Order: sequence, then structure tokens, then C-alpha cells
Amino acid sequence: MLILRMLLSRVLLSIVTLFIVSLIIFSMVELLPGDVVSRMHGRMVTDEQRAIIRAALNLDTPALERYLRWLGQIVRLDFGTTLALNRPINEVLGPKISNTLILAALSFVLYLPMSLIPASIQAIRRDGVVDQGISVVTLILLSTPDFLLATLLLLTFVVFFPLLPAMSIVDHVSTFWEWVRALILPAVTLSLVMSVYAIRFLRDGLIEVLDSDYIRMAELNGLSRRTILWRHALPNALIPTLNVTALNVAYLMGGVVIVEKVVGFPGFGSLTIDAMLMLDVPLIEATVLIAASVYIFANLLADIGAILLNPRLRTMTASK
Amino acid sequence: MKISLVGDAAITKSNSWRVRYARMWRESPRSFRIGFMILLFWVVVAIVGPFLAPFGPTQIGTGIPLSGASWEHPFGIDQLGRDVFSRVIHGAHIVLLLSISATLCGLVIGSFLGLLSGYIGGWLDEIIMRVSEAMISIPFLILAMLIVAVAGPQWSGNPILVIVAVAIVYIPRTTRLARAASLDIITKDYITIARLRGEPSLSVVRREMLPNATGVLLVEFATRAGFAPVLIGSLGFLGFGMRPPTPEWGLMISEYRELIFLSPVTLAGPGISLATLVVGLNLCTEGLARMLGRSGEGVSA
Amino acid sequence: MSAKSPILSIRNLSVAYDGVDGFLEVVSDVSLDLVGGEALGLVGESGSGKSTLALQCLGYQHPRARVLQGKVFLQGKDLLNLGFEELSRIRGKTVSFVPQNPTTALNPAKRIGQLFTELLLHHGVVRSNHVAAKRTTDLLSQVGLPDPNQMIRRYPHELSGGQQQRVCIALALACSPDLVVLDEPTTGLDVTTQEQIIGLLVRLRQQLGLSMLYVTHDLALLSQIADRVAVMYAGQIIEVAPTVKLFKEPLHPYTRGLIASVPHFLSANSKIGARPLQGLLRRADLPDGCRFSTRCEHVTDLCMDTRQRLEATSTDHYVACHRWNHIKVTFNEEKKSERVIRQKAEAILKIEELTVTYHRSGSSIINYFRTPTAPAVHNVSFQIRRGGIFALVGESGSGKSTIAKSISGIQPLDGGKIIFQGSLITASIGARPKNLRKEIQYVFQNPDASLNPRIKISEIIGRQIEILNDCGRDEIGERVMIALDDVRLDRSYAKRYPDELSGGERQRVAIARALIVNPSLLLCDEILSGLDVSVQANVLDLLRRLVLKKDVSMLFISHDIAVVRGLADDVGVLYDGCLVEMGTNEEIFSAPFHPYTEMLMKAVPKLNKKPLFDNDSHQITPSEAKKVGCAFCGRCSKKIGEICEVTPPPWRLFGQSLYIRCHHEGEELKMVPDQK
Repeated sequence: MLILRMLLSRVLLSIVTLFIVSLIIFSMVELLPGDVVSRMHGRMVTDEQRAIIRAALNLDTPALERYLRWLGQIVRLDFGTTLALNRPINEVLGPKISNTLILAALSFVLYLPMSLIPASIQAIRRDGVVDQGISVVTLILLSTPDFLLATLLLLTFVVFFPLLPAMSIVDHVSTFWEWVRALILPAVTLSLVMSVYAIRFLRDGLIEVLDSDYIRMAELNGLSRRTILWRHALPNALIPTLNVTALNVAYLMGGVVIVEKVVGFPGFGSLTIDAMLMLDVPLIEATVLIAASVYIFANLLADIGAILLNPRLRTMTASK
Repeated sequence: MKISLVGDAAITKSNSWRVRYARMWRESPRSFRIGFMILLFWVVVAIVGPFLAPFGPTQIGTGIPLSGASWEHPFGIDQLGRDVFSRVIHGAHIVLLLSISATLCGLVIGSFLGLLSGYIGGWLDEIIMRVSEAMISIPFLILAMLIVAVAGPQWSGNPILVIVAVAIVYIPRTTRLARAASLDIITKDYITIARLRGEPSLSVVRREMLPNATGVLLVEFATRAGFAPVLIGSLGFLGFGMRPPTPEWGLMISEYRELIFLSPVTLAGPGISLATLVVGLNLCTEGLARMLGRSGEGVSA
Repeated sequence: MSAKSPILSIRNLSVAYDGVDGFLEVVSDVSLDLVGGEALGLVGESGSGKSTLALQCLGYQHPRARVLQGKVFLQGKDLLNLGFEELSRIRGKTVSFVPQNPTTALNPAKRIGQLFTELLLHHGVVRSNHVAAKRTTDLLSQVGLPDPNQMIRRYPHELSGGQQQRVCIALALACSPDLVVLDEPTTGLDVTTQEQIIGLLVRLRQQLGLSMLYVTHDLALLSQIADRVAVMYAGQIIEVAPTVKLFKEPLHPYTRGLIASVPHFLSANSKIGARPLQGLLRRADLPDGCRFSTRCEHVTDLCMDTRQRLEATSTDHYVACHRWNHIKVTFNEEKKSERVIRQKAEAILKIEELTVTYHRSGSSIINYFRTPTAPAVHNVSFQIRRGGIFALVGESGSGKSTIAKSISGIQPLDGGKIIFQGSLITASIGARPKNLRKEIQYVFQNPDASLNPRIKISEIIGRQIEILNDCGRDEIGERVMIALDDVRLDRSYAKRYPDELSGGERQRVAIARALIVNPSLLLCDEILSGLDVSVQANVLDLLRRLVLKKDVSMLFISHDIAVVRGLADDVGVLYDGCLVEMGTNEEIFSAPFHPYTEMLMKAVPKLNKKPLFDNDSHQITPSEAKKVGCAFCGRCSKKIGEICEVTPPPWRLFGQSLYIRCHHEGEELKMVPDQK
């Protein structure tokens, strides 16, 4: 079956990419010239501390062996032990990842209407005042760096109108409402940034659909505006939406880092930053790898979605 | 405009692409002009500002700390007694230099790599594409932080490191774009002719392919240059960029965030500056993209 | 027949586009009438505004178009005054549209049946899905589609181009409209399918008494289907007449030029008294008066200043030219092309059993999962004589370009040998020494793609000798000038860029580039196909002279039989990667013929614009895929039976050097004369 073949090849490609990512991460961290510990920690550690770290990282074994062992562990989803806290990384990762997942999910839920509605309005009232107005607003928001945006929202809703807490610190004892209040600021920031990015692509994608021959044909056949929009245009606009969303997931991984730091949310992003700041080698390797795999996975899903949604492929026979 | 019937066509002289570019500037969309003005403004500030600023970037004792906005101190005074307005002006050239040079490095290397990869094809192309895809999979901020972290403390705060980090983030993305552009170009017959005469690959890339990709690459440059201040600002904000007391805008935003309750106007200084700079760059990019896209657009009867 | 009031009445319509170069008037003060039951043809080149005019008959314009003035009356109602609601009631019901490109006009996400049901229900023709389905199957049978019940459930991409167009026609007929507007409905289809669709339309007209507005650029087509023809040029109607009269006595210089531009091969119909059209329509440079004056050979000062209006020259013939009566009708003589019949020279190039299988590009990981395709070229052998011109004739997809690419060295072989000047050469350009690379030169089909738009002409030409001939800087400059002289281009062209040149001029530059290094073998791959008919003769003439002068052997690839007849010494006919006939020029063009060659000859006048068969929709039979039997048996009208499918046909010798690959003996291979 052709579809199965195509899907399989996409999956294979993703696995290869992931593998190369692991190679890149490992070599950047552990294979650059100079002894790992001296290079990264410099003069901040004493000699005995250095010896401890070296032992913990097994730096006396050859690189290839270290890499393969790490790889072996990763495949079993065991990410090793952190240097700083001396705990298994998996323990540390668990709660942080789930926190961030909740944040990401909320952001996504907000982002979809926030992007689709303005984009549709723009596409329908093309080149009008509304279209241009939305474009201007989008541009300004797009140009504002996300950390600035988060900070400004913080300013507005914590300083000027004290509605939300200054820090979004939550843990397993926080109540549901505390969670909600903590999540609003980062979620809105993230969805805002994703929306303004997506709106332009969606607008162009929708316009392309509206300009296509079959839409013109539907109009020439006398169908009503509503029928044309809902029954002919929108279904074909799914694919560009999917594409943009995959790109946004890529952004999300990076954006989450900064936004979490601004509001102090204890999620995966904060963890990554802390790992980098503390130069916790195993944790760094683990977090970067996870971030990359999320991106790769999201892309894979988007590709699979595009394949399955393509009507040409639903009915292809093997001869073509 | 002379029209002469020579056998099979009327030839008009004013249609070469160079003349077209000149015409484009005259007819450029409003967005481009506005963006360009903004950009020009910041370039002037960057060059002349440091000589005209009322105070130095690290000069303390300019007034009462956290005293809010006033005529002498439009953006207030920070917790160390430094004039924020002056610091912003002194920081302009930093952000511009870092952004432009990092983007330029990334673009030049990435373009060549991408075009070459597309032209040569085969396993070289495959390897370059796989590695590029892998690097793109790492979110740009995380990759930049990784590079900074991995370099170690002796490079910390060094502007070269920031440039290298941003360039490395940009290279694979540009490579992918250049390769996509090259795929279209190598189908053209004049490339085949170059192949048939046995011309060396680098020569083909430089002479035959590059001039045809300039439009796409120019837009890419503008786009990336527009995002570079944000990336650099983010690094500064998180502590991975320049070190204090450098008046780097991202760093300043991070420093003044704590003053949000006491003197929020200090935040406005670097914040508004960074935002307007990026707006200017983005407008230029958008205008540029529309202009270059326009020359190929047509309406059929 | 009593005089009917017209169904469609256009009065003084002017439409303009807000385009890149500013405001462009595309339709200019046009008035037209169409009565019930009539088929009116609207003919013009691209850029004449005919499509815009056609769409106006449905009250539709492109978002950037604006109606400057005029009215469009459909059954008495002015379409331009109606709102969207009212228009949507009329469109599809009173007047309907058949598009140029059926593939993009059908929503890829909807099944065929859904398209019909939606339409029928919306216009109130039926009231339930069930009745809709019945009517749909009726319509589909009416347009000649097989198995309508199955068809309803299919998606558009599962149908061939011809079938998709039939669906579009059925959609246009679904609500029994008063007027059907067709915008170049057969342009994207191959010759065979085009004949079928035209036949269908003629039949439907007779059965249903349809009124039609048929828009096309192909004048010859209208002779089959239209009662009257209106000729359009640069937004204006310049002549209107009944079809037969128009073809017999065209009055406007443009119309005459149009008719003379259609190449005739087997029929001698050159009494029109005009040369083919010169020049191009450039919308940006139109004069105030008659818009055709810049290209007209009978132009006077009055023509340039005064706008011409349609005037009646007889009861039903109108022309917009004040000189129609003054133009002398001269007979033109067919120039006998002189070909030097060469002696039997030894072969400069020998191809033996060449086989190429195409591999697709893309990531090799993805390719791993793809099924291999049938060979593109299969066991082809022929020879080119020194100083001779060998033509390889076939349609697109027959593999002729692949053969040329293998010879030049950019297409690797999967089997066979290439022997050049007596020695075996590799099919890989990288492995060839410089002096070999110099000896074989290539000229491509598309003049837009063969010159780098960012490089000056002098450098484009000069780079060849710079690399291949080790010339010094100053010598290059001089030789480039000589090369320009050879191709009859002014020396000032050296400083120009390709987009300042026309298509014909660019092709001449490409030829100059190829010949400047003094090669022994020139590969010409459909070099005339991208050019206007009027330009082809010039370039061909040039090529002939240069080849003689420089003593170059040539492989000339083309699908244009008329051109091949006038140019080649030897000819090979290629079908789907296999040679089916081979011989000298005279032998090929006289009986006996291979069945495929015969088919090609009959379809000649149309072949300039489209292929004979739609190869994409043809399901490859297993024997074709493995190239076991005869490659042509799937389409052959003279197929004997199973032997054609299973056994590869032998080469049979006829006459002195004519080889035909067929199971037939000889009697059956004489051509059956056609009644066209």
C-alpha cells in the first residue's frame, strides 16, 4: 500500500534526524576541544570538585563508549543523573514536563480561535480597512519580543490592575484556582505570540484557497456565498493550518523557556535554563534532546496529517 | 522609448532587471519606506548618539535613583543612579552591530552551503540536509544557550560568542532555504549547459546560481536580521549574552524588571527601543518581500 | 427562420485591470449579439481579452478588474446591475460556464456526485438527493462517461483530463441553461481527446439546441463547431462573419495573418494571400488608432490615428478596418526548401541498444520505498552521418530528450553504447575530457530557461570558449562578435541581458553559444517549439545555413513533422522509448508507414500545440511495462492480435534503407487517405 510506504518512510526519516540530533548534542557538549570540565566550569570549581565531576561523568572512558552508553540509556528513557542535585533526571523531569504540557495545552486552546478568526476576517475582507488594521496590529505585536510582551502583561495585570499573582509559582499543593491564575499570564503571552505569527500564514493560505479555480467555479455555478465559504473553501484550508501549527510548536519549545522564566513557572523551560546556568551536563543533554524530539515529533504528525488529508492519496493505486 | 520592428519582435530598452530595481525603489510600498526611516533613525542614533548622549553608559550619580521620568531623564534613573536614556542610546550600536554581523555571517555561509548542496546533489546533499534538519530541530533559543554554555566562562560576555551563537542558529535555516531555491534553479537549462562544459561547482554556484537567488536571499536576510535583535535580547535577558554593565537592551530589560513596582518607566526605555527597532526591520522585510514578489506578478486576460 | 431577439447582448463594454503596470484596458468598447440556438466563436491570441469578455457574460470579473462602461444583457436583464444574490440565481441556471482547466476547476475534496447534488438542489431543479442522483447519472451518460453509478463516487483526480472536462460540461448542462459559455475547453487536452470533446459538443448542440459562446485561440477548431465567428484583437472586436465566409474570405489583415499562421502540411490551402503574423501583442505599447497597426503590413498614417469601428461589408460580415477593400490579394509561393542530398558518409555517432530507466529525485531514504518505473528508452539504435542531419521524431514523453541527454553526458545509461567518432565514450560528463566536451554541444527547447537572466549576452556566449577552448581575454571578445554576426544579431546585443530579447533572439543566442566552440555534433532538442510560428521559419533557416557553413552534424529532435520534412536527411520515429521506424527523409514520408507514423502525419496541423495522446491517464499494461511485445500495440489501429502483445516485432526492410518495426508485411502499412 502506497500510503503505508510513505508513512513509514517519514517515520524513518524522523528517527534518523533524531539520531543525528543526539550526535550533535553530545559532540557539542563533550567533544569540543579542551577538557569538558575545565572548559565549561573554568575556574569556578576546585580541583577536588573537578575530580568528582569527572568521575560522575565518566570522562575517563573514551568518547564513543560514553556516547553509546548514553544512547542506550536514552532508548530506555533513562536520562541519567543530574550533577547538581544528584537525583535521577527522570524524577526531576516528570513534574516539570507535565506542568509545561498543561501550559502548552492551554496556550494551544487559546491560540486556535485567536488566529483563525482574525485570519478569516482578513481573507474575506481582503485589502479593506479591517484587513490592513489587523495587519498593523499584528505587525506591532509580532515585533515585540516575547519576554517584553510577558513583562508588559505582567506590568498591566500585576502592577496597574492587580488581578494576577506576580509569580506563577505552583506546586502539587496549590489549589485549582491558584493554578488557573498562575497559568493565565504565560498562556496568554504564548498564545498571543503564536497567533500573530500564524495569522499571516493563515491569511495567505485562505486567500490562496479563495483564489483557486474551483472556488471561482463554484461562484460561476451560482452557489451562495455561505456555501462557498463553508463547504468548499474551509475544508481545503486545513492543510495550511496544519503546517503553520507545526511551525508554532517549534516556536513553543523555545518560547516556553523564556516565558516560564519571566513568570517563574516551574516547568520544562525553567528547568532547561537552570541546567544551562548550572552547567549540569547530563541535564543539559537530556533537556535539549527532549526539546528537539518534541519538535521532530510535531513535524512528523503534521506530515502524516498532510498525507492523510490529501484526497489524492486516499485512493491511489500502486501503479501510479 | 524606441520601438523597432526587427524581424520577430519589438524591442524596448527599458526592461532590463537593473532598471526594474531602480523603478522599484521609486514605487516602493509605504510600509517599506516607513520601516526604512525607522531603521535609518536607529542607525544614526547608533553612530552619533554616543557622542551626543547627556551621560555615559556606566556613569552613576546622575540623579536620585528611581526618581521616575523627567525632562533631564526621559526614561528615569535606575537603581544604580544611571540615566536610562543615555544607556539606551549607548546600547543602540551594540544591538545593531551584533544583529547585522551575526545575520550576515549566517546568511553568507548558509547560502553557499545550500546552493552548493542543491547543485551537487547526491550523498553530500543528503548529509548536509540531514544535519541541517537536525540542527533546526533544536529550538533556536535553546541552541543559542547551549552554544554559550558549552563555550565556557572565559567566553562569557564576549560579543563574538553572541555573534557565533546567533550565526550558528541561522546557518542551517538559511541552508535549507538556499537549497530549496537552488532546486528551482538547477532545473534550468543554463545550469545544465554549465555542467556540460565541465565548469567547477563553486564557480557555477557563484556565477550562475547566486545572482538568481538574490531576491530570495535578500528577503531571508531581512527577515533574520529582523529577528536577531529579539534573539540577542533574549539571550541578554536570560543572562547568556553580554555581561553587566554593558548597556545591551535585553540585559537592561532583565535588570529593570525587578524595578517594575518602583519605577516602571525605566523598563520603557529599552523596551520601546527594542520594539521599534524590530518593527522597523519587519516593515522593511515586508516591503522588500512585496517588491520582489511584485516583479513576477501578472494578471492574465 | 424568424428573426429572434438575442439571448445575449453586449453593448459598448469596456473592462480594465488594475495590474502591476497600472491600469490596463483589456476589453475596449465591445458590442456583440448572440441569438438563441446559435454557436458564436470568439477567437483571439492570449492577451486579446477574450476570457475576460467571456466571464462578463456571467456577470463575473476578476477581483482586480473594473467595468468602465457598457451593459451586458442576458435575456433582457443587465447583469452588471445585479447584486450577488440575483446573480447567483442566474449563474449555473440561465447561463453556465465550462472552464479551460477542468482539473483545477473541480474541488479536489469533493466527490463528483456531491458537486452535482449541491448544484441541482441549490437551483431548485430537483428537491431530493435521490432525484438528484438520478439526474446526475443521466447527465453523465449524456456526456459519454462510462459507468455513471461508479463515477458518482469518484474524486476528480481519479479521472483523466478528458473525463474531467466531460464532467464540467455535464455540470454546465445540469440546470438546462439558455446559454453555455466555454472558455478554451480543450486547450489543456491532447489531440485525440480534443477531437472527442469537440465531437461531443457538436452532438449535444444538435440534440439540445444549445446556444454557445465558444472562446478559443485555435481558429481551426471553430470551423467544426461555430456558426459565426468574432475575431478579437487587443480588446476590440475587429471582424465578425459566418464561419465559412470567414475562412474563405477573411478581410481584416489580422484575420488573414491568423489563418495563414496555421501550418498546413498535407492540404495545399495557401490561397489566403497573406504571410503569417509578425511580431507580438504588447499591451503596454498600443497606438491610439487601430491597435493592430504596429504589426500590419498594409498600415497607413490614418490607421495609426483613427480608431477603427466595425462596419458591415455585407449583410452578415463586419470588419473594423477601413482598408479592407484596398488590400491586394497576392498569392504566395511555397518556398521550396533546398536540401543538399548528401552522399553516404561515414557515421560520426553510433548509438547501440541504448537503454535508460528513469529514477526520480528526492531523498534516497524516501526513494527506497518507491516502485521502479518502466524504462524511458529501450534498446534504441541509430546512426548519424558526418555532416548530416538526423531527426528524431516523437511526442513528449517518448524519450527523445533522454536520448539527447545521454549523448551529451548528463543522463547515465542503464544499457547500450555510445560511439562517437569511432571510439566508445562514457555517458558521464564528469569523466569526459575537455576536448570531447567541446565536440558535442546542446541547444535547448525553452529560450527562457537556457540563458541565465542575470548574465550579459557577451558573457553567456563567451564563457563557452573561455572554458572549453582556452582562449585569451581579448580573443574571446572578438569571437563573440563574430558569433553574433553568424546568427544575424546586431553586435550591440552583446551588452544586453536576456530579458531584453525576444524568444527567437534568445534562441539564436543559444545557437551562437553552441556553435562558437566549433563542435562536431550539435544536439537540438525541440528548439523551435517554444517559439511563435512566425519566428520558427527564421530560426530554422539560420540553423540550416550555419550547419552547412560549419560542417556540423546534427541531431534534431522535434514533434513537428512539417519542420522535419524540410530539414532532415534521415529520420527516426520514436514511440514511448522505442524506435518504430527509421530511414531517409523521402522514405519516411512516403508509404509504407508504421501505424504510429501514420497517426502522427494525420494529426499534424494540431501537433504544434498539444500532444497526440494523454500519456498521464493511460494505464500501463503489464506487457508495455516490461517492454515485451510491441510498444505501440495498446493504441494501434492495425493491431493483429496477441502476437503484438507478446512478441517483439521484427525490423523489416523496405526499399533501400527504410526500416519499420512491425508484424505486418507491407500491404497493410500503406496509408489510408483521409477525408479531412
